[in-house]
Amino acid sequence: MESQRSSWYLLTGLILGLVIGLVFTWVVSPVAYSDSTPVSLREDFKNHYRSMIAQVYAKNTNLLRAESRLMLLGDEDTVEALAAQAQRILAEGGAEDEARALAALAAALASQTIKPEATLSSPASSESAEPVIPTNTLPPFNTATAASVLEDKTPSPEP
Amino acid sequence: MTEASLQRKQRSLFFILTIVIGITAGLVYGWLINPVAYTDTGPHTLRQDYKTDYVLMVAELYHADQDIKAAVADLGFLGSESLVELVNQAVVFAGQVGYAPTDVELMLELVRSLKAVLPEQ
Repeated sequence: MESQRSSWYLLTGLILGLVIGLVFTWVVSPVAYSDSTPVSLREDFKNHYRSMIAQVYAKNTNLLRAESRLMLLGDEDTVEALAAQAQRILAEGGAEDEARALAALAAALASQTIKPEATLSSPASSESAEPVIPTNTLPPFNTATAASVLEDKTPSPEP
Repeated sequence: MTEASLQRKQRSLFFILTIVIGITAGLVYGWLINPVAYTDTGPHTLRQDYKTDYVLMVAELYHADQDIKAAVADLGFLGSESLVELVNQAVVFAGQVGYAPTDVELMLELVRSLKAVLPEQ
């Protein structure tokens, strides 16, 4: 009887400690919601982000930059995501300009024939017959995270 | 010291020890094995480099449209209290990491326009 009581108090201590630990990690000091990436955004925020990318592309037609930004959202099929969002906007009676921008970017990405290895891997390739690489830097590439995503396709940043 | 009190002392020690083991297990589980998940986050939690790129997108749109109301609305996406401060921080960051001067200039253009319409900031 005495030894049974001993076992229970040890189990009680263990459970008490576990509860304290979980309360601390989940309530008092949970993993902080900061320094997140676009891929972790809620779906409606992602839609807004995607729409912004498309609208900027509609103004500057910088496909390389638009593509690299879209990759930050982590869509499995970028073209499909753009087209689906455009259709959704039209179906819901949303802004036609926005839908058109999304569709235009989807079409541009679907039809592009750029060979990244041939055109982006070296500075000399920018002198080839392929479209001129935009000279503006791609901001996210300045960070280690984004650089690792597209390291093979990143043009040399301007000083 | 009687045997009973020695036993009590030993039991207390083991009790505290199991609590410590439990806390350790809880910390490992809560922080490493099953931490609070990073899903469905808001734009305000974005890392500074992504915020800066977003601000650049707004600046690019503003440069093309000169629509400051749309720019203010788009910047509101990031949930900052002071939009001027938000864009200023983006400009500083852009300078630190070597954005193209043309991009920095676009953001500066946006700051100037924001200051004109939001003087209180």
